[in-house]
Amino acid sequence: MIQNKPKLSRRDFLKAGVIISGGIAITTALVPIDGFLFAGEPPKGKGKWYGIGIDINKCIGCGKCANACKLENNVPKEPFYFRSWVEQYTIKNDGTIKVESPNGGIDGFKQSVPDEEIFKSFFVPKMCNHCSKSPCTQVCPVGATFETPEGIALVDSNYCIGCGYCVQACPYGCRYLHPEKGTADKCTLCFHRLAKGLQPACFEICPTEARIYGDLNDPKSKLNSFLKNHTCMVIKPHLNTGSKLFYNALSSEVR
Amino acid sequence: MPQQIKRLIIVFTIFIVLFLIIQQVLKPSSFGVFGHYRANAIQENTVRELHYAGSAKCSKCHDDIHFDKSLGFHAKLKCEVCHGPGLKHALYADKYKGKDLPDSLILYKPDNRKDCAVCHQKNAARIKILFDTVDNSMIKQVNTMKHNLVDKNTKEELKCIECHNPHQP
Repeated sequence: MIQNKPKLSRRDFLKAGVIISGGIAITTALVPIDGFLFAGEPPKGKGKWYGIGIDINKCIGCGKCANACKLENNVPKEPFYFRSWVEQYTIKNDGTIKVESPNGGIDGFKQSVPDEEIFKSFFVPKMCNHCSKSPCTQVCPVGATFETPEGIALVDSNYCIGCGYCVQACPYGCRYLHPEKGTADKCTLCFHRLAKGLQPACFEICPTEARIYGDLNDPKSKLNSFLKNHTCMVIKPHLNTGSKLFYNALSSEVR
Repeated sequence: MPQQIKRLIIVFTIFIVLFLIIQQVLKPSSFGVFGHYRANAIQENTVRELHYAGSAKCSKCHDDIHFDKSLGFHAKLKCEVCHGPGLKHALYADKYKGKDLPDSLILYKPDNRKDCAVCHQKNAARIKILFDTVDNSMIKQVNTMKHNLVDKNTKEELKCIECHNPHQP
């Protein structure tokens, strides 16, 4: 019987194996895979790196921010789409939680639970967290949404195909499909105002100055002193989204 | 090299070259400068219409009201909080000095009870709040639908601003 001897000897096969696996190991070490990076510290960017601070203790739930956002950014009034809105959380004495946001808070809030039943109640203004590892920009199939070098998550409405993946992906519910344009739409931190040196509309309008935005890379910025002076937390930290919206006095009930 | 492999190499080269040409034509020029997106989209996002002027613009003409306001509880409140976005109003006033404004540019004067209620309606979530305004007081809260609803003498419905000056409450 004639044996078909393989052309590759065992020695050569092992050699080739070592070279290939070693090569992969070295290239990964030199150019780390995004997946590894993402598990670590959130990126910090170079130059400006915008972040937001909201003081829940100061929010009086007037809803002016939600209204100003709609007026500034031509967000459709109805059906109810929001880039920025306010929620009222009421924790009752029996431990149940009631969350309400009638028309995003634009028309003001009416206390729906009688005083005797309330353990505590507070307002939570919500808007895009401008995450540094944003889930919404990662799922876009056409590269129409992205984080700018300043750390602001934007939508390229000329290239958006309106598939709505990003709307599904955002764990904070901060995106919607614009009913007229048919593209995804979200808070831009009033990028057009920032470019002209003005404050974003909701920051401009907040009567109690509960909102602060600023450069996280600048140690002297208003935001950094706010973060130092208060006990701040992001919403859903376990999702590791690298959220840059920090709340003072955030209760664990807030989702 | 077998004939089939040679043919395959030719076919693959044609495919790859075609792909590269098509990609060059379809890919926007600024794609990939900063990442997997069009860098020009950043610039496009800055080109949008503005609506809010900022209170510095208001005090240019309305400096008297601005001064009044700075003495009261509403000192930190910006004009556009109550009066709505006023950039068009301000630009018109800049352009045609002294001319009357068209009706569409006259800003909203909030005199309804509902306008005040937005901030001052009694609500359990508002009570805790302490402000570093003039005398470290809490935000004033009333049941706006009951508080002095009608004039005792004339029996007519009263507006909040008939007793409280909104610029200096």
